[in-house]
Amino acid sequence: MFLVPCVARSVFYRHAAPMGTTAKDEMNKFWAKNSKLNRPMSPHLTIYKWSVPMVMSITFRGTGVGLSGAISAFALAALVLPESYPYYLDLIHSLSIGPYLIGLAKFGLALPVSFHTYNGIRHLCWDLGKGFRIPEVYRTGYTVIGLSIITSLALAYL
Amino acid sequence: MAAIVRLGSVCRRGVKPLFYQSTLLARPLVVPHKYQEQPYQLTAKIHASQALYAGSGSKAASLHWTAERVLSILLLAMGPAAYFNPCPAIDYSLAAALTLHGHWGIGQVLTDYVHGDTKIKLANAGLFLLSTVTFAGLCYFNYNDVGICKAIALLWSK
Repeated sequence: MFLVPCVARSVFYRHAAPMGTTAKDEMNKFWAKNSKLNRPMSPHLTIYKWSVPMVMSITFRGTGVGLSGAISAFALAALVLPESYPYYLDLIHSLSIGPYLIGLAKFGLALPVSFHTYNGIRHLCWDLGKGFRIPEVYRTGYTVIGLSIITSLALAYL
Repeated sequence: MAAIVRLGSVCRRGVKPLFYQSTLLARPLVVPHKYQEQPYQLTAKIHASQALYAGSGSKAASLHWTAERVLSILLLAMGPAAYFNPCPAIDYSLAAALTLHGHWGIGQVLTDYVHGDTKIKLANAGLFLLSTVTFAGLCYFNYNDVGICKAIALLWSK
């Protein structure tokens, strides 16, 4: 790709198009080049000012990974443990944990599920192109947080 | 005099060509709306040229993205379905949808944080193994034990 003297400007634009590479290829090339040159990574998390949308985003990812891990752990346990589910449930029952701790545990289970669900809906709205203006991002964000807490409390009291 | 000439060029060709000229004596005007169409015309021209030279792109990534969103919406619908109509069909559908949603989700996390050809291959192989075991475990639980819907109901009835 050479810089043609700008006599015919439209010709310049045509030949500025790169050979067909995918985004994935470009990203891999970038990473390979920079790690080969042993370049350090620029500071990012340590210097950027944290914001509510930022924290919600990583929490969304965290709850996703956590819930996925919990489901996998449950499935593995189902395959490995000898007794049936009601047996182990009765085992936990017999530990006579007080109602407050049970309520707390239910809240602790419900909160990641509801947060991930509500923020997931918020993400789907973004995928439809809606709600990108900064005030809207904050408004929908606070709505998700509020709804998650309320839903989890309601479920814990069931 | 030159300033008037520059302002004149803004009126004729829009703001963008102004920045390519080396002597800028006047600040660009707030361009009247109809003149803003022209920069987009130039952009459209570049994209059209790229289509000629870009490699035959596959739509796989785009279709995957759409499938992820469709699955998310499906999973959302399964929530109330499982609550109002618990049955084996819902149990197995939930097992499949949850496993696949988690598999694709963790896949995105790996794509974001894992770099280097071998590491990517290893991580994805590990994920595939985990998801297979998860699905197997959930199906085993549905077949040999109380099933997902009943399990959640029992857990909450504590």
